[in-house]
Amino acid sequence: MAHRDVGPPGGVNEQVNESLTDVEVVARVLGGDGEAFGILIRRYEPGLLRFATRMLGSADAAADAVAESLVRAYRHLGQCRDPGHLRSWLYRITGNRCRSHLARRHMSDVPLSEVPATALADHADSWTALERSEQVALVERALAKLPTEKREAFVLKHVEGLSYEEMAEVTGARIPTLKMRVHRAREALVVALGALV
Amino acid sequence: MTDRLDDAIELLKTTPAMSVESRVMAEVRRISGPTPRRRVFTWPRIATVGLALAAGLAAILLIPRTPDRLTPGESEGIAQFVGHFPGARSVEVVGSFNNWSRGLLHLRDENHDGIWHAAAVLPAGQHEYMFVVDGERWVTDPLAERFVDDGFGAGRENSVLIVRPAGQR
Repeated sequence: MAHRDVGPPGGVNEQVNESLTDVEVVARVLGGDGEAFGILIRRYEPGLLRFATRMLGSADAAADAVAESLVRAYRHLGQCRDPGHLRSWLYRITGNRCRSHLARRHMSDVPLSEVPATALADHADSWTALERSEQVALVERALAKLPTEKREAFVLKHVEGLSYEEMAEVTGARIPTLKMRVHRAREALVVALGALV
Repeated sequence: MTDRLDDAIELLKTTPAMSVESRVMAEVRRISGPTPRRRVFTWPRIATVGLALAAGLAAILLIPRTPDRLTPGESEGIAQFVGHFPGARSVEVVGSFNNWSRGLLHLRDENHDGIWHAAAVLPAGQHEYMFVVDGERWVTDPLAERFVDDGFGAGRENSVLIVRPAGQR
């Protein structure tokens, strides 16, 4: 891992901070600058929250899952063997956390498709936003009907835009398997969307 | 129907309007506060011995000698790390007690017999750790008392050690 002197924490221009590579930020955090971890949060939080929300169907559960994942990532940052692939590593931790959450929910017998989709409720301050949030809720409901593995593959590929190589790092599954999951998920989602409305 | 799927994908790309940054950073600041990180590795401190704990069975059996210059505080104990790594050029320990940071706790093989050891004052409580051999190979301590999944989904395990306060011996 390449270490570089990036100046004292706190006094560095914010734009400079945000332009640092993941490898540089990780080096800085491991060097004792815990505040630099905020750069990584701002960089990856939106995608992780979106991913977790689509996986769990609940904004609150997603926020918990992502917060726990980021804290875990901070605690174990030294175990990230390749900081150049930090994004995959963070999605992997978050994916694991989501699966644990879903397993617990499964045990309590609350089907994901019956969990109210509330991710965009705060946005609904206008008719357009309300209409959009209802559309999202409908699509989330269709997504929730997919098995976890297919839903995860579909979201990582089409919503988060990960490559199949990155998806393999995140899920531990082989690329041909992931391609099949995405294909099957698309087929199933088309059917589920057709059944709505 | 493909258009409908594309529309759905666009809707799913909407980013939820929330943030966990302040919540996470509060925890980060709590974790990286000065107490554990600066106190753990201010050794050796000159004083009498207060041996509190060994990392595992092997640690007790194989350590060549007890650490004689470590003095734990009331809420600290001494952890001993021992591993058999014949031919290794370097061995160090990383764990939850040093933020998994490299370069802070190196083991020694003074007799050149492949048995590497080190001792350190650690806060009382449960800690996860791993050996890093030759700077690149992460090795679970096979002789640890306990193991836990490392949580990263590849089936790897961290070793677990429990440090008891020196005063509870």
